[in-house]
Amino acid sequence: MTLKSARMSTSRLQHIKDHLLDEYTCAEMAAPYSPLTTHVLNTGMGVPGAHMALSLHRMDPSTSLWNLLTTGTTNDDGRCPGLITRETFTPAVYKMRFETGQYWGSLGETSFYPYVEIVFTITDHSQKFHVPLLCSRFSYTTYRGS
Amino acid sequence: MSSTLPNSPLTTYVLNTGDGAPGARMALSLHRLDSLLVIWNLVTVGTTDEDGRCPGLITTKAFTPGMYKMRFETGQYWESLGQNSFYPYVEIVFTITNPNERFHLPLLLSRFSYSTYRGS
Repeated sequence: MTLKSARMSTSRLQHIKDHLLDEYTCAEMAAPYSPLTTHVLNTGMGVPGAHMALSLHRMDPSTSLWNLLTTGTTNDDGRCPGLITRETFTPAVYKMRFETGQYWGSLGETSFYPYVEIVFTITDHSQKFHVPLLCSRFSYTTYRGS
Repeated sequence: MSSTLPNSPLTTYVLNTGDGAPGARMALSLHRLDSLLVIWNLVTVGTTDEDGRCPGLITTKAFTPGMYKMRFETGQYWESLGQNSFYPYVEIVFTITNPNERFHLPLLLSRFSYSTYRGS
């Protein structure tokens, strides 16, 4: 049931992606430093959370729908440069979604969390925001860094 | 949610790590994913007590295998304390394969960070 749900969620995401304009992958952005950064750490194994798929979304306040902004995969260091440009980083509610279930699955393990979504509010978009994810198979932590 | 229900197989505990106190009177809700329709069904709504706990979340009978979501109204909580917070709400999505076990899903929370883990 879990795998089916995960597949259906992924295909829904793809369906939504196909209908979007202005969507970027981290690699396409030749942007200078993104004002929003992330870092995934696999605390269960004491290594970076490398090659984890993730996506950044912004809530449209008039429709309360999530707009997909960026998709990407963390690099060997668990980071994903070029998440967003300063111009696009307007004050709003954002969501970072990390495909943790897929990640642990690729390591041949199960996980309690099929994915992790972190929803946060940006009011002052001139600051830098670091939204890391420290995760193991059975726990995770995040904090607002800079 | 009734406190006359026998022990729920799923429990939670909210801790306000910023103030070193239980996360009392925080609104929360439990949802189960309908895997056919791929929509979330609301199972329970509640509010944590003075100790940050919320007894009677779900009955053993209703606790079937599947994907669940606990949503904590953290933004409202911090507002009621006169503070702002980085997270307007926290949703924790988890998979239950063996509903015969006990699952403890705590939320350790400050204005700018949170943690959760699978306990029992």
